[in-house]
Amino acid sequence: MRAWGFVAAAYGIVWGVILLYLYSLKRRYDQAAAELERLRSTEASAGHEEK
Amino acid sequence: MAKELRPVHETKGILGALALVAVAVGLYWSLVVAPPDAYQGEVQRIMYLHLPSILIAYLSYFLVFVGSGLYLWKREKRDDILAHAAAEIGVLFTALTIIEGSIWGRPTWGVWWTWDARLTLTAILLLIYVGYLMLRSLIEDEQRAATAAAVLGIIGFLDIPLIHMSVYWWRTLHQPPSILRPDKLPWENVHPSMLTALTISFVGFLLLYFYLLSVRYRVGEMRQEIKALRLERGAR
Repeated sequence: MRAWGFVAAAYGIVWGVILLYLYSLKRRYDQAAAELERLRSTEASAGHEEK
Repeated sequence: MAKELRPVHETKGILGALALVAVAVGLYWSLVVAPPDAYQGEVQRIMYLHLPSILIAYLSYFLVFVGSGLYLWKREKRDDILAHAAAEIGVLFTALTIIEGSIWGRPTWGVWWTWDARLTLTAILLLIYVGYLMLRSLIEDEQRAATAAAVLGIIGFLDIPLIHMSVYWWRTLHQPPSILRPDKLPWENVHPSMLTALTISFVGFLLLYFYLLSVRYRVGEMRQEIKALRLERGAR
């Protein structure tokens, strides 16, 4: 492999891995946010029923 | 009081946008503007990734150290959430540092890997914090897991001064610092254009790091809120 090949491999792997991590983080964030929203809305509706 | 939920891109928008700009400018400077190194040639450009990556990993483990210490002292969940978030991102950047170093080492040293003191201690650092993350998932009792992880998070941090001093204490293949040297100022030793590339790259990594940390911290916070709500519901 020539010099630029090593540079391209390093930059490609680093930014590829960071993008994958960002994607996984966004998925975890969205899942947790949706679950929290669901729990809060059922909590709120249960509160209304109690009243 | 319950926090209002917003999508990631709205909540951390400014930080994310700043990180994106800095990373793009850093990439341009590192790959186009900075000249090739007189001895290493183009391969030296990998250093614009390698140095910021390890500094971000150190910063992350410092936050694990602080968060763990505060958790053991005050027992506040937010400190544990911070330590956990920082450890996860620290592992990511340590792994990237080792990969970048390996790709740089092949054309420069002639090997992908060698059991040099600094490399070995960095691999140990990675294993310690992978262990930290595994420990958290293996212990079922949440409080016990947080306490055990906090102890490991503090002990693990002691590896960082060893890594830093390894190039002075032992005869290593890894070179001593080129920029942060006690005998010379950074711009006396490195071409200004290279120093600029390194600085912009570091700023980009730093902004990206705080963006990732803020999102990962919020994920931890929300998981905690979910657990609390489920417990509350189960108690009724």
